[in-house]
Amino acid sequence: MPVNRCTWTSRSLLDAFRGSIVTQIARVGKVLVTGIFVASTVIGANAAVADVPNANPPKGTHKGEDVPQPIEFPHDIHAKINEINCMYCHTYARRSKVAGIPPTSKCMGCHSVIATDRDRIKKLTEYWEKKEPPPWKKVHDMPDYVHFTHEKHLQRFVFNNEGMDVTRVSEVCAFCHGDVKEMTVAKKTKPLNMGFCRRCHEANNGPSDCWHCHK
Amino acid sequence: MSLQNILNNWDKYRKGHEAGGHHVYEHMWSMVIDLNKCIGCGACSVACYAENNLAVVGKDRFEKGQAMHWLRIERYWDEPNLKPTASDEFQQHGASFLPMMCQQCNAATCEPVCPVAATYHTPDGLNAQVYNRCIGSRYCSNNCPYRLRYFNFYSFYETSWPEPLNLQLNPDLSVRDKGVMEKCTFCVQRIRTAKDTARREGRKVRDGDVQTACQQSCPTTAIVFGDMLDPESRVTKLWKAHEVELGKTAQHKQHPEKRGYRIFEGLNTDPCVMYLERVREV
Repeated sequence: MPVNRCTWTSRSLLDAFRGSIVTQIARVGKVLVTGIFVASTVIGANAAVADVPNANPPKGTHKGEDVPQPIEFPHDIHAKINEINCMYCHTYARRSKVAGIPPTSKCMGCHSVIATDRDRIKKLTEYWEKKEPPPWKKVHDMPDYVHFTHEKHLQRFVFNNEGMDVTRVSEVCAFCHGDVKEMTVAKKTKPLNMGFCRRCHEANNGPSDCWHCHK
Repeated sequence: MSLQNILNNWDKYRKGHEAGGHHVYEHMWSMVIDLNKCIGCGACSVACYAENNLAVVGKDRFEKGQAMHWLRIERYWDEPNLKPTASDEFQQHGASFLPMMCQQCNAATCEPVCPVAATYHTPDGLNAQVYNRCIGSRYCSNNCPYRLRYFNFYSFYETSWPEPLNLQLNPDLSVRDKGVMEKCTFCVQRIRTAKDTARREGRKVRDGDVQTACQQSCPTTAIVFGDMLDPESRVTKLWKAHEVELGKTAQHKQHPEKRGYRIFEGLNTDPCVMYLERVREV
């Protein structure tokens, strides 16, 4: 009889995974008790998530630190009020590992005309005229040993997902990035730990081989 | 319970491949190294250092056996007719070389001894090492008959790549820290990229899509790499031509003059690297 060599590997992985859920639940519990404000953001984050077949977002929240950016970029004005698609600026997400930060020329494409009298745009124009990119800071930074590609996930949940429309891509982004529409400067609201990833991978039959994601 | 499973299935564990294998394999990455072509230049080893973020440890640590070369060139002076003269430290002629990297054994001895399952077999037929899972017990290294696992005794992160050399690090794999075991991965980052590209283009991985760093840099093309499950791949044809098969502890050849052999296959490790014996003109 062939021995399934993976049995004990996956079992111990599962144990580790369960452990992380327990800590996650404990953490969520703590957060909920801590304050109504936080609880309301939790509900807000869940409200943004798509009602799409096979799209089960992983549970869990995380109170991220504020990441000060060179220009206080208002995601809410762009994504919520003006309904700009996430992939208009983060254009690399659908075809590469990283979602990418748009080049300043993309900002200036609109802002050489629109809202030029605002302080933040003036600051942006300064950078543009100096020919320097604003030193944006990374908010969602995966550890060195994790291999994550935006492209694969977008293919799976947006382009090859029946019932999903590309105009609603922000709902898929919200699985991991939280409800960016409600934020000004992006902030980490999901834990993005292994338990968080595994929940979604289990619910959607994602790969469970260690070397798919670890490098 | 992982430990219980290991203990219960211990006697079956390393015989699994004889009974049809452990996995439904998607690929079976394999390598053929022609020792007749190998000139011992060491380009493969250098390429491996560059590709896989290997630390340069320095002479002192090298002497202690703490070098991190995933691919080493073993040098043998196996020509008894060419004895060195008394004044020579080494003989002038007759060296033969053998590039030695992880043999990606299908019945790997390193895998069952890991207490935290940081090393395991992937459906690609690779012997994987998960760095962030490794606790550095070093059992695997002690159990490897080829001595191909290397341990990070020091945190080379800060010292081995002074600026601006840190900018040449490969982002497709992690820079390992102190206390972690590491070894040749058959350039899994390249395999991953090739598979992703093939999927995006809606096709299967073709022979030649994946080139390992050592293969790419070999000036005499002594190294051939490919998928054994692809009947048209170069490795499959070479293994067939030399009458070497996976899943055996000894090869019974119709033509014993065929040069193919696997190192230590009698130990039931079932390595995925076939060497072609060196033949010297007499």
